[in-house]
Amino acid sequence: MKVEAREVEGRKVYTVRAFNQGVATWLQRLPTLWVEGEVTELRRQQRWQSVFFTLKDPDDGACLSVQMPRGQFDALRLELKDGERVHVYGRPELYEQRGELRLKALSIERFGLGAHLAALERLKQKLADEGLFERKRPLPRFPRLIGLVTGNDAAAKRDVLTGIQQRFPPANVLVAETYVQGPRAPVSIATAIGDLCHRGCDVIVLARGGGSFEDLLPFSDERVVRAVATCSVPIISAVGHEQDTPLCDLAADVRASTPTAAARLVVPDLAELRAAVERTRERLHRGAFTLAGRHQGRLDTARERLHRAPLLALERRRARLDNAHARLAALSPLATLERGYAIVRRGDDVVLAADVESGDAISVRVSDGTFGATVD
Amino acid sequence: MERSERRLTELSFEDAQKELEAIVERLERGDAGVDELTKLWERGEELYRICAAKLESVHGRIEELARRDDAAN
Repeated sequence: MKVEAREVEGRKVYTVRAFNQGVATWLQRLPTLWVEGEVTELRRQQRWQSVFFTLKDPDDGACLSVQMPRGQFDALRLELKDGERVHVYGRPELYEQRGELRLKALSIERFGLGAHLAALERLKQKLADEGLFERKRPLPRFPRLIGLVTGNDAAAKRDVLTGIQQRFPPANVLVAETYVQGPRAPVSIATAIGDLCHRGCDVIVLARGGGSFEDLLPFSDERVVRAVATCSVPIISAVGHEQDTPLCDLAADVRASTPTAAARLVVPDLAELRAAVERTRERLHRGAFTLAGRHQGRLDTARERLHRAPLLALERRRARLDNAHARLAALSPLATLERGYAIVRRGDDVVLAADVESGDAISVRVSDGTFGATVD
Repeated sequence: MERSERRLTELSFEDAQKELEAIVERLERGDAGVDELTKLWERGEELYRICAAKLESVHGRIEELARRDDAAN
């Protein structure tokens, strides 16, 4: 395209519009190429034709404006967020109206998922070698003060708080809101964990709802993992969904699959506790009654024996008496009489032959009786 | 008496519950004498009241820690 200049007092002068057109045209000769950088200031609106963002050099902060037609951008389904590293394929162009250089993007790719994964794996190995994933302490049964580290995104925080309050209304919770994604998140999370320990929490819940791989990266950041591993009180990690395993999950004392599950782990169920106390009281009553009944039974038996004792003693004596009597009877002279002997008396005296005279009246005792007789 | 009252209210729920359970187990073993039985029963009932009262009376609170943006730079 030919750019026309005017001749003014011997010099060639271009209008701004013509100048910009000229540069724009010249820029079109530059090749289409890949540029790597970090996405910032992403601006996308339904009524705009294009999506805009700034590509920042992570090392020295140099910036480049990027523009991409909204239809193309949406078709990529990248759901880019600020702070993400990308490769942008495009060519430089001049926004003529403002004379600004920018990159017109034809395609965008997330950079280095593989590189990220490899780095994570190396970090995991290193921290495992240090023994940071081994400490598993039991959680307190009745936490005095629960620390909750969470983003201000409603879902995870609400899930944990609702879960705790439903199960155990007496729970005390201290909430520390932090950045949970982006470059500020790691320091923010690590600091919050330290703060909550310092303020006397005796258990900490680290909660973050589900998100993309990049969203959850801060929870695998070495600073966060170390803060979790060295936390002075037990810590529950409830980050992402079941299938996600950020490194902080490995360093925590307990891992919960969701924020709601973390609430179930951190407090007991009040209704269950009540029922348990009632059951224990019932056992107390039953135990006491059973034992009292046993004591009563023992007492009854004793009384019965007490009542029977005199009669028994009497009977025993009677038996002894009978026995003695029988033995006595065996020794009695009557037994001799039965063998045919007789006892002869005069008056009360037993008589000898020399004592009696003819005509004396005597009595004779034989076994079955006594009869009188007269001496010849 | 006053001393034991005070001691009871100072008990944590957990300790009161543990002691109550220990008393129940003692009773269920059946080796407590009559005098002791009465004492265990009374102590058990007291502990039960402590536990139940503790579960009813306490109310929790939720506090927000001031956000430390200075930490995140």
